[in-house]
Amino acid sequence: MEASNRADDFIPAGLAAFGIEADEIELAVIRAAHEMFWPPILELLDLEIDAAPPEPAPDLSQAPPR
Amino acid sequence: MSEALDLSLRGQAAAVAAGEVSPTELLEAALRRIEKRDPALNAVVETFPERSREMAAAAPDGPLRGVPIVIKDEWPLPWRAQRFGAADMLAPAAPGESGPYRALRDAGAVIVGVGNMHELGASSTGNISVYGPARNPWNTERCPGGSSSGPASAVAGRLVAGAVGADGIGSIRYPAAYCGLTGLKPTYGRSALAGHHMAEVTTTIVSGPLCVDAADCRLLGSVLFGEELRAGEASGLRIGVIRDEVSEDVAPAVREACESAIEDLRRETGGEVREIALPELAAATLATVLIANGESLAGITPARLNELDPELSPIGRGLLKYRVLLPAAATLKSHQLRALARRTLASVFDEVDVIAWPTVPAVAPPLEAPLVELPSGTTTADQANVRGGALANLTGIPAVSVPVGSEEGLPIGLQLQAAWGRDEMLLDAAEALERANGRRWVEALPPLEA
Repeated sequence: MEASNRADDFIPAGLAAFGIEADEIELAVIRAAHEMFWPPILELLDLEIDAAPPEPAPDLSQAPPR
Repeated sequence: MSEALDLSLRGQAAAVAAGEVSPTELLEAALRRIEKRDPALNAVVETFPERSREMAAAAPDGPLRGVPIVIKDEWPLPWRAQRFGAADMLAPAAPGESGPYRALRDAGAVIVGVGNMHELGASSTGNISVYGPARNPWNTERCPGGSSSGPASAVAGRLVAGAVGADGIGSIRYPAAYCGLTGLKPTYGRSALAGHHMAEVTTTIVSGPLCVDAADCRLLGSVLFGEELRAGEASGLRIGVIRDEVSEDVAPAVREACESAIEDLRRETGGEVREIALPELAAATLATVLIANGESLAGITPARLNELDPELSPIGRGLLKYRVLLPAAATLKSHQLRALARRTLASVFDEVDVIAWPTVPAVAPPLEAPLVELPSGTTTADQANVRGGALANLTGIPAVSVPVGSEEGLPIGLQLQAAWGRDEMLLDAAEALERANGRRWVEALPPLEA
């Protein structure tokens, strides 16, 4: 199935699924955010990095173990 | 005593230590300065003269004895809960001894006021706050940067010589760049974090100093770190730069000033410039946002989102509700990318000592419409800024923004990033850059009321 970034489908359905109410101004903000975030989210999901070894519970104060 | 207030942070500390000025005199001068200049800046959202006087009277003989400091509205104080710049911060908030408060108190500093911040810490601009926006002293119609907007505006406006901010995705470095200051984002976990409302869940937020120059950041940073950040010599510095489409998408004046500063730094340290590649950089921006977003959702329920304070801005309300819709799979992928980016960076830091690029790709935009013009077109300041700020928060490395130029009277900042734990060396590099340009940019003053 082709990926969709159509805010008209996703946003009302998503909010309704959680029982979250939003007024028209909030919906406009959410649509703008969705337009900005969704295309790179799809690109991120498509990144071929699953083979890279994970770093469980990384210690961010230090370099990763070699 | 206003003359003492115009000294550097270390100059004020030395003047108190030498008995040339008392903590009380310095505090009263700071309160008068705030009363006079802050109406134009809205940098300081609350003062508490009696509490401050108690701190001044009881100040121990520490490295900041008697020095007035502003602290961001992100850190609780024993007499005041943080508001996070918002009418509703969706997390329990109560007065208390945050880590930065304890560090300042034990160093003898005097907290003179609370600094404004962007609502919920959610932007690089500082143009929205429950208190009204803080303003940029260089041009009060321009954004001061966010989310540590008030701390930056307060230091740039010379209300105080040092302020404590917080940096979850660039929130110390963006306002440092917009206001012409030096701002340090420490290595994750090195600076005081206790008492932050997300201290138990965050993997991106750190406390850090905003000051006029690197030596003052070293002093205030040492207090926040709880250990002395010793000065050294940045010699033979290997400076990494990235030449790709995104990194080059920078306003011409910013690009020119940063290129010139990189060459100054190379020459001053007898170092070299090396081209490097960070293939994960483009995706790192979104990954950081998604990880920080996921961490901020702890405790938020749909029912709570239906009861948001109506005084929260429409943008704040909408973004909070949108956060719930972001897919967990993308957040999981973001953690994979974080692991990859950390490994890549570890290899890069075998080859270079610092990575340099503009802190923000354009100077401070108007408060009314925070848009910036880049070679690729017009975009929101947030979209543009996060590209340069996110990597350090994603991976944990330290970063510093240093003033290196101006365009139409608005400051330009260069960001230097280093390997984990090399915060001291970053400040050495920042000081080398100051020497190279004759301290021209750290000593530049915005138009200030006398």
